[in-house]
Amino acid sequence: MSKYIKTIVMAAVAVLAVAFPFYTGAYPQSIAQSVLTYMILAVSWDMLLRTGQISFGIAGFFGIGSYAAVLSMLYLNLPPMLTILIGGIIAGAIAGLLGIAVLRLRGMYFAIVTLAVAEIFRIIMTNLKGFTGGPEGELLPQLIFQGNPYLTYYLMFGMAVLTIIISEIFLRSRVHYALTAIRNDEIVARSSGVNIFKYLVIIFIVTSVIQGMTGGINAQTYGFVTPESSFSLDYTLLPLAMALLGGIYGTMGPVVGALLLGIVSEYLKLYIPYGHLVIYGIIVVIVILYMPQGIVGLAARIRKAGARNE
Amino acid sequence: MLEIRDLNSHYGKLHVLRDINLQIGNESVGLFGPNGSGKTTLINAVMGLWKPTSGSINFNEEDITNIDTYNIARKGIALVPQERELFPGMNVQENLESGAAYIPHAKDELESSLENVYSIFPILKERSKQLAVTLSGGQQRMLAVGRALMAKPKLLILDEPSLGLQPSLVSELFEKLAEMKETVSILVTEQNVRESLKAVDRGYVLENGSVALEDSAEGLSTNPHVIKSYLGL
Repeated sequence: MSKYIKTIVMAAVAVLAVAFPFYTGAYPQSIAQSVLTYMILAVSWDMLLRTGQISFGIAGFFGIGSYAAVLSMLYLNLPPMLTILIGGIIAGAIAGLLGIAVLRLRGMYFAIVTLAVAEIFRIIMTNLKGFTGGPEGELLPQLIFQGNPYLTYYLMFGMAVLTIIISEIFLRSRVHYALTAIRNDEIVARSSGVNIFKYLVIIFIVTSVIQGMTGGINAQTYGFVTPESSFSLDYTLLPLAMALLGGIYGTMGPVVGALLLGIVSEYLKLYIPYGHLVIYGIIVVIVILYMPQGIVGLAARIRKAGARNE
Repeated sequence: MLEIRDLNSHYGKLHVLRDINLQIGNESVGLFGPNGSGKTTLINAVMGLWKPTSGSINFNEEDITNIDTYNIARKGIALVPQERELFPGMNVQENLESGAAYIPHAKDELESSLENVYSIFPILKERSKQLAVTLSGGQQRMLAVGRALMAKPKLLILDEPSLGLQPSLVSELFEKLAEMKETVSILVTEQNVRESLKAVDRGYVLENGSVALEDSAEGLSTNPHVIKSYLGL
């Protein structure tokens, strides 16, 4: 039964998301695109988290993708769609090299390295003045799709759908034994023939490609990159808060969390500019204290309790 | 099948394995000894989970001393660790399947292996959709053994399988192991020497990291030192 409900809800959300731009103005549409952006980042962060590895490097790969997209367009004159792909490829390549070096680290050690990556690339981009425009960043001469907001929205929507599909494939296929192995029990997994390191590198590359492409789409939509905005810590912290709020270790949790927190934070921004992050913090604390499995986990618990009472 | 030569291992300055020599053919072998005698360290060394300082481990004429654990598993050694041996968030059948999913020669025979494990442990078939954490301690241990069998191992290693089990289940488990030794070689570490001597052909006694004794099961069960120290008679 719950499977049908889930499918119906998913389908309804998809239809709403497709029809959305036709019935609303420019402002709600830009919020929707930003919610989708964070949703993609939240789902991709959760995909790596399922292995037991916590990444604080989302903003890093997002920023790398943004810069790669903008610079490859400026210097190589490539078509915008291709530069988005290049954003993903470069983010993935950096993740691959970095992963081979540091994915033998676990837990906090790995998390801190990923945090450093975002910072290192932000500093590199700030200081390579001749190439990246330094602290002022670079402007694109024109926006993707000539700035057509419908098309940029659908592009980000397509990216979100793709991410959700990949996430579900990883959850359902046999790969998931390997991907949940470290979190569950690394020694058992290794003794049953799982090459944990290989799977970790693959998943790290996949999630970084997603984050890089999302950065590329974002940069092409707004037509600029700066070190401060492209590597903003927001791109790490907000998706993390969204996934925690919605519920981790699944696709639904980060999606629900991104929708809720994304929309709420836009309203909060209007009333308390810069103060919305405080509310974020409070939400995260409350969630961790009172519903460690997030909204989706809470809903599942209520459903189970209901089924018992019937 | 398995041949360990002059194996030494250290934890820092602590010399935990001293010149261990041990062979296993097509048979069932027990590894006995008190806490801290080096049993688990020896098993971890075989499985590639702990690197020895010197010496060699050969499996089917091949040196596996410095091979990664997952490759050792693929060559046909399966381990049932001492604790935390299951994926708690998966159901019984998924746990069993995960035992075969990453071993190339076992993956193709997943269905028949599953039947085989269910016929050895019928309770697992009844509970196949239940989460592993909801099983009793004894059932979890059987699931762990079943999961290891799914990998179609040539050598099955069990690290203290009786730990934390009630006596009737311990007897049952060793009866199952005695049945299995027709099809797979077994290395089992135990503190419950009395029960395990019924299931093994031969045994080694480890004391302070060295092999103190090596004999057939009968020989060990009549050895005065074993009787005094391990059988408590």
